[in-house]
Amino acid sequence: MFESDRSPPSVTPVGLHARRLIALAALVAAQVFASGSAWAQRTAADWPTEQPPRALPAPEVDFPDYEVRTLSNGLQVMVVPHHEQPAVSVRLLIKAGAAQDPRGKGGVARLLAAVMDQGTTTRSAPEIATAIDSIGGGLGTGAASDLTFVSAVVMKDSFDLVMDLLSDVVRNPVFAADEVERQRQQTLSGFQVSLNDPEYIAEIVFDRLVYGFHPYSLPESGTPASVAAIARDDLQRFHATYFVPNNAIVAVVGDVPAEEAFSAVERVFGDWAARDLPTTEPARPPEPTRRLVVIDKPDAVQTEIRAGHLAIPRRHPDYMALTLAVNILGGEGSNRLHRVLRTERALTYGASADMVALRSSGDIEAETDTRSEASTEVLRLLVDEFWAIRRNRVNPRELSDAQAYLTGHFPLTIETPTAIAQQILNVLFYELDLAELDTFRQRVDAVSVDDIQRVAREYLKPDRLSIVLVGDARSFADQLPGLGFGEFEVIPLADLDLADVNLGGRGVQRSVQPD
Amino acid sequence: MVRAWAGLLMAVVVASAGVHAATRPPKFEYFITTLSNGLTVILSEDHSTPIAHVELWYHVGSKNERPGRTGFAHLFEHLMFKGSKNARPDQHTSVIASVGGLSNAYTTEDMTVFWETVPTQYLPLVLWLEADRMASLRIDEATFANERDVVKEERRMRVENQPFGRLSEIIYDQAYSVHPYKHPTIGFMADLEAASVADVRAFYETYYVPENAVLTVIGDFDIEEALGLVTQYLGRVPKATRPVPREIDAEPPQTEERRVVLTEPFPLPVVVVAYHITYDGHPDSYPLHIASKILSDGQSSRVYQRLVYEDRLALAAFGGGNIIEDPNLFFAVAIVQPGRTPAEAERALIAELDRLIDEPVSEAELRQAKNQFARDYIVGRESNQQKASQLAHAAVIHADVTTADGEFDIFMGISSDDVQRVARTYFRPENRLVLTILPAATRGTRSDRGQ
Repeated sequence: MFESDRSPPSVTPVGLHARRLIALAALVAAQVFASGSAWAQRTAADWPTEQPPRALPAPEVDFPDYEVRTLSNGLQVMVVPHHEQPAVSVRLLIKAGAAQDPRGKGGVARLLAAVMDQGTTTRSAPEIATAIDSIGGGLGTGAASDLTFVSAVVMKDSFDLVMDLLSDVVRNPVFAADEVERQRQQTLSGFQVSLNDPEYIAEIVFDRLVYGFHPYSLPESGTPASVAAIARDDLQRFHATYFVPNNAIVAVVGDVPAEEAFSAVERVFGDWAARDLPTTEPARPPEPTRRLVVIDKPDAVQTEIRAGHLAIPRRHPDYMALTLAVNILGGEGSNRLHRVLRTERALTYGASADMVALRSSGDIEAETDTRSEASTEVLRLLVDEFWAIRRNRVNPRELSDAQAYLTGHFPLTIETPTAIAQQILNVLFYELDLAELDTFRQRVDAVSVDDIQRVAREYLKPDRLSIVLVGDARSFADQLPGLGFGEFEVIPLADLDLADVNLGGRGVQRSVQPD
Repeated sequence: MVRAWAGLLMAVVVASAGVHAATRPPKFEYFITTLSNGLTVILSEDHSTPIAHVELWYHVGSKNERPGRTGFAHLFEHLMFKGSKNARPDQHTSVIASVGGLSNAYTTEDMTVFWETVPTQYLPLVLWLEADRMASLRIDEATFANERDVVKEERRMRVENQPFGRLSEIIYDQAYSVHPYKHPTIGFMADLEAASVADVRAFYETYYVPENAVLTVIGDFDIEEALGLVTQYLGRVPKATRPVPREIDAEPPQTEERRVVLTEPFPLPVVVVAYHITYDGHPDSYPLHIASKILSDGQSSRVYQRLVYEDRLALAAFGGGNIIEDPNLFFAVAIVQPGRTPAEAERALIAELDRLIDEPVSEAELRQAKNQFARDYIVGRESNQQKASQLAHAAVIHADVTTADGEFDIFMGISSDDVQRVARTYFRPENRLVLTILPAATRGTRSDRGQ
């Protein structure tokens, strides 16, 4: 019934010059002889034993052209011209996010982002939606720990329109009461889903353990209680305080001439008045302490596992060396956790370790998931890898693989205009030196095996890990003491309370034997 | 046969295409040929960045699986990373990572796709690796058992341990009776357990042959040079000794409305209204794509406005066609807000689908849908990987690479009459499944707390 009616296409010219086609036709004819054994039995015995082919000569790779300027009101503007596709994307970052939520009002930045495009002084929510949708554009808003953003993509002939719309949404949102209520209801209903998602639960409990009561400890979307407590005033106050040009970065990327892009930004943001920002330093997160929390979800068939602790902020001299150390533990190019847990033992679909380096702090986080009954074994293997990289010098081959991945990968990170812009935004956002974009490979290659050992000893603390297991506690909790995890807390999911020092549980319930 | 007249229709539409309101994406420039072993090769130059993307599509997916062996196509995809004559198990991945490249694979109902993106100078390495596993895969019992356990963890992670994780497999199980779209690509645990190394060998010999594959390479090279490399490494893979089987049981037409109510451990109730539709490339598929846009692309779309914004019936709602190689479903789904009923959500979803039958869509909505299409085309062609996927999809699923560009003009030519006509054709009560999934109480889990 579904017979293939494809006939083998002949050599088909599409957009190529005739002279080249003749050369190509000759090549195609030649390969008939190259594959003379075409009708041979398909067995590996006939296939040659050989080494992989050598690489072709490597081309030079430079970071693409871009330009950064600062308007007189302090707004930083970045333009990346890119003319392959007739589209332009614009992104505006405000350097304040969930970490700036008022105490007890977790979720303000997220809710603000959700309501920001739901009505301005001159446009209703449906009018904004129709304005962007009718031209085939896209508009999105959001907030993370340290930032709030609006981003848009349009075809190049709608560039002026989208700049007007973007500045209206950023500068003139009205936070109408019914729109706030609608988005609040969406957020609260969303919790009913996310608080049943083992991954989400593992993430929020892990952050809470690592960051104590530092602002990074709370979920960016807040909690059901904190979102219920947010008033419209809170959104207006956050907006009035942080949405100022001297606290913002705009990126224009795509098929628009640089001068046109700069003048459009000046047109819509040039008269945006600068204002001083509050200068409060967030409290320091607590020193790492050993704590193992089991969130009991009896219907789970797998356990979500997180282990890690506080590390360093993005602007830190050891950032590159520690990035490579964490990559050897569980990153691209050389991932010990993946090898031990998946390749060798088939205990998981994926295992990794990441460094989260934010503005005022950061952490190292290893993560995996496994079938319930294997949870304790997997946790033991994972923690042992923290010990191994701290105790033993890494194999030079592992380091060179991790380095080769980062340096070799560089051209892949400048393929699309969005990817290019993201790198420049990172540099501007973390107030790094723009020259870093050009010295990336040198900085990667400068890291030695000694450096890896030094940062592993300085920053990895396997005896003081924050550990979270979200799963069916009956399947594995009894095994924990036998594998060196003598002290742990079991908290029924229904009792979880991030605001409580015991997270809603009854504290440590067992102390069978010390680790 | 149906495919052939779809192609003919396309040519007519292209020739008569009128004024474009939407911005037009630049056309692809590429070279296509077939090697003597049957491998189709598509090459395209992109000199903007010194990288190359290689994408190898095998025209086999979960709809080619035998009963009792669900999940096998995807399990086999995993095994392709477990070693061949000149590559140790997992070396394929590690070698590519060690030059800074990315590689992975995915399996759908219709195809299995292997891809690599690397700095251009490593193109010979990637082609050599792909040829090696196409010609000389080596799988022993231990490797097979190990990887089967990994896939079982993948099923637990993606399906069994996620809120709403089983939604898709419930919809397809209820909507289909015989066509293999009835079962999920990830497969069922018992079937994964039943698979053997003998199945691996048979599957490999049947489907992993050059004539069942399309190789697409895009990047910073000269086509002559790339064709030389492709021919050198993949041209020597032996030709298949027998044709690739294509027989798949067709789904009989549905003749009366199906209504099903189930309970699952979902956090909120879900309502699904699903209609059987046609296949990717059928003339009706294009107005159905337009209908999907009008229902669900952007906050101004009908389903969002009605169910999420105005009536606040749904936490999330969506309506759209899953238009793939064999006839699939057009479905509307709502996750019901606490305090609202599944019956209200069902009425609202059906009302929005009926409205497409009862009144023509406005010119403004039609123009908006076309502009959104143009945007998808344009922003869907930024990376080499995106471009390769577009070309390979046209070559494999449409058996006509020119549709990668040609479909743009078809979409621009769709009228509001076309949308109304396909709505009348497919959105009939007797062609529909109405599925209500109610939350079952789960042990120890309460959804109203947890801060």
